[in-house]
Amino acid sequence: MADTLIDVKDLRIHFFTDEGVVRAVGGVDLAITRGKTLALVGESGCGKSVACRALLNIVHRPGKIVSGEIIFHRMFHQSSGSGSDASVDIAELNPKGREIRDIRGKEIAMIFQEPMTSFSSMYTIGNQIMENILLHTNLSKQEARILTIELLDKVGIPKPSRLIDEYPFRLSGGMRQRAMIAMALSCSPTLLIADEPTTALDVTTQANILDLMQNLQKQYEMTLLFITHDLGVVAEIADEVAVMYLGKIIEKSDVFTLFNSPAHPYTQALLKSVPKIAMTREALDPIKGMVPNPYSRPSGCPFHPRCPKAFAACKTIVPKTTSLGLHHTVQCLLYEDVTERQATEALS
Amino acid sequence: MTSSEHIPQAARQMTDDSYLLEVKNLRKHFPITAGILARLKGYTRAADDVSFYIRQGETLGLVGESGCGKTTVGRCVVRAYKPTAGEILYRRADGSVVDLAQIRGREVRTYRKDIRFIFQDPYAALNPRMTVFDLISEVLAVNHIGTRAERVDQVESLLKRVGMRPEYMRRYPHAFSGGERQRISIARALITNPRLVVCDEAVSALDVSVRVQILNLLEELQADFDLTYLFISHDLSVIRHICDRVNVMYVGKLVETAEATELYTQPKHPYAEALMSAVPVHDPVLRDSQHRIRLEGEIADPSNPPSGCYFHPRCRYAQPRCSTEEPALHDLGNGHFAACHFAEELNLQGVRMG
Repeated sequence: MADTLIDVKDLRIHFFTDEGVVRAVGGVDLAITRGKTLALVGESGCGKSVACRALLNIVHRPGKIVSGEIIFHRMFHQSSGSGSDASVDIAELNPKGREIRDIRGKEIAMIFQEPMTSFSSMYTIGNQIMENILLHTNLSKQEARILTIELLDKVGIPKPSRLIDEYPFRLSGGMRQRAMIAMALSCSPTLLIADEPTTALDVTTQANILDLMQNLQKQYEMTLLFITHDLGVVAEIADEVAVMYLGKIIEKSDVFTLFNSPAHPYTQALLKSVPKIAMTREALDPIKGMVPNPYSRPSGCPFHPRCPKAFAACKTIVPKTTSLGLHHTVQCLLYEDVTERQATEALS
Repeated sequence: MTSSEHIPQAARQMTDDSYLLEVKNLRKHFPITAGILARLKGYTRAADDVSFYIRQGETLGLVGESGCGKTTVGRCVVRAYKPTAGEILYRRADGSVVDLAQIRGREVRTYRKDIRFIFQDPYAALNPRMTVFDLISEVLAVNHIGTRAERVDQVESLLKRVGMRPEYMRRYPHAFSGGERQRISIARALITNPRLVVCDEAVSALDVSVRVQILNLLEELQADFDLTYLFISHDLSVIRHICDRVNVMYVGKLVETAEATELYTQPKHPYAEALMSAVPVHDPVLRDSQHRIRLEGEIADPSNPPSGCYFHPRCRYAQPRCSTEEPALHDLGNGHFAACHFAEELNLQGVRMG
C-alpha cells in the first residue's frame, strides 16, 4: 500500500453529552491516496469535520475516539535506513504527547472554515506563522521571518514584507484565508486538511483560493483532504469523493463516476436537489424530511426514512460496504445481496 | 397625525402601472467618525445612486459580493434605514403611490405590515425566549389586530401552510432545526398578509437538502398569496433558480439589470461576466475546458472608491476612458441595463447551459 497515505479503519467517535451519546462518526473506513485530492462531502452534522479532526487527534471532550485505527504512512526522506513505511496509528497516540505534536502542523496541516476566527487577534500574522516554523524546524528567527515572507508572497499576498507585521483584522477575508494557507504550508506538510476553506468567501475570491490551492498542491506534492458541502466545489477540484451521511461514508468513488452515475439514493437525490447555475428555472426535487436528531438515529440504513427507494429490509438491516467496480463503493441494500448475507450470518 | 396626507405625496407617480415598487436614485451613506468627539472623517457610500423597479408579482434578485450594499438597499426598502437621498415609491393596495423615503415615525409602521423582511440567520432572527406562537403573532398583537383566539387560528393555519405542525406552537425556537426555524421566520413574515417580502439571504445558512425545500416553499407561497419578492443573495445559482429579473451590484452601485436568463447567458457588464464565470460548474468533465476569468485585486473600498468606473482596476477590458469617466446605467433594449461604456461592443461570455 505504498500509495496510501492514511488508512482509516472502522473509526468511531462518540460524544458523551448529558442528553445521551451522539454517535458522530459510526464506523468510517477511508483510504487517502498520496498526492490526490479527496473531497469529503456531507450536510452539517454528518460528522465530516469531526472525522477529519480525528486525523490530527484533536477530538475534544465530550467527544472521544471510541475505536478504530488511523494508520498514517509516514515517509522519511532524511533517514538513512529504508524506513519507508514508518506507519503510526494516530488514534493510539496520546493527544497531548510529543509524537502527535510533531505531526500536527508539520506533516499534517489544517485550514479552518472561518478565516475571521482562526487567527488570534492578539498577534501579528507573521508572528503566528513563524511560531509554527520555529516549533518544527531548527531555523533561527531571522530565517523563519524570511521564509514567512516568501510564503506570504507565494500565496499571493501583496507587499508581504509589510503585511507580515499586520494584525489579522487588517486583512480581508480572502487575504486572511491566504495567510492561513501560508501558515499551513510553512512546514511543507504531506497532508493538508481543508475544512470548508472557501465557504465563508465570495465566489470570485473562492475561485482564486481554489486555484491557489491546486497550484500549491502540485508544487508541494501534497495530498489534499477537502471537506465541503458544496458539490460545485467538489466537481471543480476533487479526484476522489466520499459522501458522508450521519456518520457513515455511504458512497465513495472517483469524481467522474460520482457525478455521472451516482449509486446511492442519497447521492442521487443530493445531486438532483442542488440549484445549478447552468440550469433554466424549473422545479427542483428536494430530499424529503430533514437530517434526523443526533440522539435518535434511525435503525437499519441511516437514510431509510428519507429514501425514495427504501424497502422493508432497510428499516432493520445496516448495509455493508459493497464494491461496484474499481474504487467505487456504496453502502446500500439495493446493491447488496441481503439473503446471501443472512444465510452466511446464520451459518456462523 | 398618522395620516400621510399632510406630506406632499399626492403628485408622486411611477413610470409604469405594473410596478409595485420603484426606487429612484437611492443613496445611503454611513458617516465614518474618529476620536472621542466623533469627528466626521468621511462617508461609506453603501448605496450610491441605485435605481430599479419591481413589478407586482415578480421576484427581483439582488446579487453581489459581500459589502456591495445589497443588504443596505433591502433595509432601506423596509425602512429599517432612512435613506440619505432618493425616492422609494411604493404603490399601495388602493393604487395610490407613496414615497417611503419621506415618511417618518409612526407612519412607517403602517407599511411594516405590507413590506416584510426575512433574515439570513434563522438562529439569530428568532428570540429564544418567545414561543413560536408569540414570535409569529407578535406583530398582530402589537398592532391590536384580532382577538387572541383569532390570532391562534391564524397562526395555526399559517404554520400548516409553511409545512409545520400547529401543535408545535407552544415550543421555543431551540427545539427546531435551521430549516424549521426558517419556516417559522417565513410564517412570521407572512402573518400580516404582506404584498412585498424582502428575503435577505433567506436560504444561505441552510443545508443543501433543506435549501431547496425552502426555495420551493417560497415559490408556492408566492403563487398562493400573490407575493412580490426582493430576493437578496450572493449565491448566483439560487438567484438563477428563483428570480425573474436580476440586479447586479458592485460597491454600492447597480452595474447591470436584466431578465434572469438573458443576464446569465448574455451578460453585458464585465463584472457580471466575471461573477458568473467564478461559480463552480457541477460537472467535473467541464472543469478544465472552462475558460475562467479570475478577478485580480480586492473589491473597492466604498468609502474611498476608485475614479471613473469603480470596477476599472479589476476589469480586463478597461480602457483609459474607464478611469476618468463614470459610466451611467443605460438601456440596451428589452429591459436590459448596464453601466459600462462598452456594453454594446464587448462580446462577453455567459454561463454555458447544461
